[in-house]
Amino acid sequence: MEQLSLPVLSCKPVSLLSLWPFFKPFFFMNKLYLTRATVCTAFCFCRSWLRLTVTLIILLVVQQTVYAQDSSITAAAELKRMSIEELMNIEVSLVSRTPGKLSEAPSAIQVITNEAIRRSGATNIPEALRLVSNLQVAQVTSSAWLISSRGFNTIFANKLLVMIDGRTVYTPLFGGVLWEMQNVLLEDVDRIEVVSGPGGTLWGSNAVNGIINIVTKNTANTSGFYASAAAGSFVRNMAALRYGGKVKNVSYKAYGQTMYRNPMLATDSTENADAWRVFQSGFRADWEGKKDAITVQGDYYTGTKKEKAGNSDFIGQNVLARWTRRFSTSADMTLQVYYDRYDREDVASNGSDKMKTLDVDFQHRFPIGSKQNFMFGVAARLVKDQADYTKNFAGILPVTKRLDLFSAFVQDEISLTDKLRLTLGTKVLHNVYTGIEWQPSARVSLNATNSSTIWAAATRAVRTPSRFDVDYFLPQFPVPPTSASVAGGPNFRSEKLYAYELGYRVKPNKNSTVSVAGFYNFYKDIYSVEPLPGTLTYQIQNGSEGESWGAEVTASYNILRSWQVRGGYTFFDKKLQAKEGHNFNPDYLGNDARHQAMFQSMIDLPFGLQLDATWRYVHGLPKTIATNSVPAYFAIDVRLAYLYRWLELSIVGQNVNLERHAEFGGFKIPRSVYGKLSIRI
Amino acid sequence: LTKLFTYTQLFPSYINRICTGAVLYVLLFFTSSVNAQSISREYTIKAVFLFNFTQYVDWPRTSFTNGEKVFVIGVLGADPFGKYLEEVVSGEKVKGLPIVIRRYADVKDVKGCHILFINYKESGQLKRILHMLPKQVLTVSDVEGFAREGGMIRFLTENNKIRLRINLQAVREGDLNISSKLLRLAEIVNP
Repeated sequence: MEQLSLPVLSCKPVSLLSLWPFFKPFFFMNKLYLTRATVCTAFCFCRSWLRLTVTLIILLVVQQTVYAQDSSITAAAELKRMSIEELMNIEVSLVSRTPGKLSEAPSAIQVITNEAIRRSGATNIPEALRLVSNLQVAQVTSSAWLISSRGFNTIFANKLLVMIDGRTVYTPLFGGVLWEMQNVLLEDVDRIEVVSGPGGTLWGSNAVNGIINIVTKNTANTSGFYASAAAGSFVRNMAALRYGGKVKNVSYKAYGQTMYRNPMLATDSTENADAWRVFQSGFRADWEGKKDAITVQGDYYTGTKKEKAGNSDFIGQNVLARWTRRFSTSADMTLQVYYDRYDREDVASNGSDKMKTLDVDFQHRFPIGSKQNFMFGVAARLVKDQADYTKNFAGILPVTKRLDLFSAFVQDEISLTDKLRLTLGTKVLHNVYTGIEWQPSARVSLNATNSSTIWAAATRAVRTPSRFDVDYFLPQFPVPPTSASVAGGPNFRSEKLYAYELGYRVKPNKNSTVSVAGFYNFYKDIYSVEPLPGTLTYQIQNGSEGESWGAEVTASYNILRSWQVRGGYTFFDKKLQAKEGHNFNPDYLGNDARHQAMFQSMIDLPFGLQLDATWRYVHGLPKTIATNSVPAYFAIDVRLAYLYRWLELSIVGQNVNLERHAEFGGFKIPRSVYGKLSIRI
Repeated sequence: LTKLFTYTQLFPSYINRICTGAVLYVLLFFTSSVNAQSISREYTIKAVFLFNFTQYVDWPRTSFTNGEKVFVIGVLGADPFGKYLEEVVSGEKVKGLPIVIRRYADVKDVKGCHILFINYKESGQLKRILHMLPKQVLTVSDVEGFAREGGMIRFLTENNKIRLRINLQAVREGDLNISSKLLRLAEIVNP
């Protein structure tokens, strides 16, 4: 099938606009008339279209072959291999690549369900991510969180890909996620999937150390009225409202939510100036036909963060449309387009950052014969960043920059035997800083028994440069080499990861799951800041390298119908050093916990009561040249709820055993409590 | 929209090439209906469930004594499975008997059937149908209130996933034996 994507890429350069007149007549024709003959005759008139015609014929042939050996029989065999439990876990309606592919992937994946989130008492996405034992979540201020998997947790944690309903939300400004802007209505979150380890082949750039995929419910499952209000000591107040319904076969919802959060505590235990509030509203509509499904959704948010120097505002909008056509259970095609913009002020640096993103993503999956599942995709992301920090001493130059990203991937999943599967794939991407990058991966998985899988993977992933790596200047104006300055990273290349993973997943019985994963990562060309020889002019370079290794264990167990527990432990260690001939201490690039553990218990009591608790242990963080050490802590959250038909009353204590504790830097999170009333009609 | 076009003007030429290819590709596939199945995903899964029931249910000896050496899965009413059900059971056997699919327009035609999927939209007729069927037929349906009305297994969709509701009393009356594994995964109702 190699010829599949090549002709597509090599047809003559013609713009979309010039193509339109040729397509117009076909576009309005009934699909039955779009036969090979008509298409060919029409295009053969024009000699300059010859290559296009060739492409078309090849495409048509491919199309015929793909669907001549339609996969429905394979699909039936595939479904028949599943246990009843697995059948009961299949989503009935169409799903995009996002959910299905992640859970099928032989990788270290954890899924947090809506129920686990609700019963943990989490009030936003970063708090919900504390339920994933291999993510290190550290709250820095009332509105800032640092979240990483497999290390490198710092202020500029930049090796994680985060998506909300297929929309990528890490900012190419510094490669990390502005968590205060990523609010979703937790009530409508279907699940959060977290893959630790690289996933750059299928997924986008930045998927170096992990992927977080937040999936909200299809509106077919969010009909009716939902309202909630909460008040407390750290989360000062929260309110949410949602209404969902159905007109013919289009289901829809609209929602709004607001949250006001109190400040954290400064090192001297006085109130830090970091209280903030955020309002977000949005909509989603889903339509589903026999073969097609269309989703349209959008959000609008605005917030204000208090700071010592004044207030910093942020505002953003996004709108997304996704069209999936399913040909059979193992062949489908998805086209997704989204537009996203944010505008944030930073009062401390008297600057602002405006980011606009238009993303088009297409992918197609189909079986080849009965042994192979082939998948490919292309994507274009047009990004315009306007980082205006010109009134500040340090700045991003030039202020305005295009950060376009183009990518394509192919992946083939081959069944070597009944039980042994090999998945080979690569992504090739083009970014404005370093041009073309490759991210290949090879994975094998062995279904040792019906309920257990052993998998292994070797992957290369890259973290492409962000504006903070290349365009950062301190000060903004040119200074002589005799005085100290940072003059960007004109030669900064992508950071590279070579990852080796081994894992085992087993379902000893229908009430429990256990998963173990180990990894060894080798990093090349990691960030450094070094003076040019004989000067005080520092440049951002790729002067560090290192390795990391660790193990992750997760398990869940339904002890009784009314008592579920889940938990996990993660060990992580790394060694970073300056490359030969370089002079830089890379320790502060990762403030990583060596040991981390999490345990969640959910108990249904009689009389509609629920008693839930979460325990978290995070090992101490060592001191680096840029950050203070953080002592180890052990925190407990408790939730007691009463449910009566459409009413839910709950009281949640967060960090009940700790009067105050720091997770990163010096600011401390106070012990807190909130009460919440929810109505679902 | 003008903005969008200005965007396209800014593309390097190879992007245009890729776009052209992509547009062609998408149009070709999205406008085609070659061999595309018209059966919904929901019913592909339900079809596999029907097949799975053959593994988890024991029929009394008497239901195999009508002389025919086949195991019959029947569909009463409009058939939502198309040819898919045949694909699922092709080559499969139950107690050494090959599985065959039969379709019935009327309950009076149902004979020698082991599993019957009842696709009647009017639940009013349900009582009459269930009354007329031999007790040893494992009755399955996704009609609202099926298990309550005396049907044996009802498919219901919750959170976009398929759940089972089993009327244990009806199953016992038919002398059928459903394995505990299946029962554990289902919701048991008593009419």
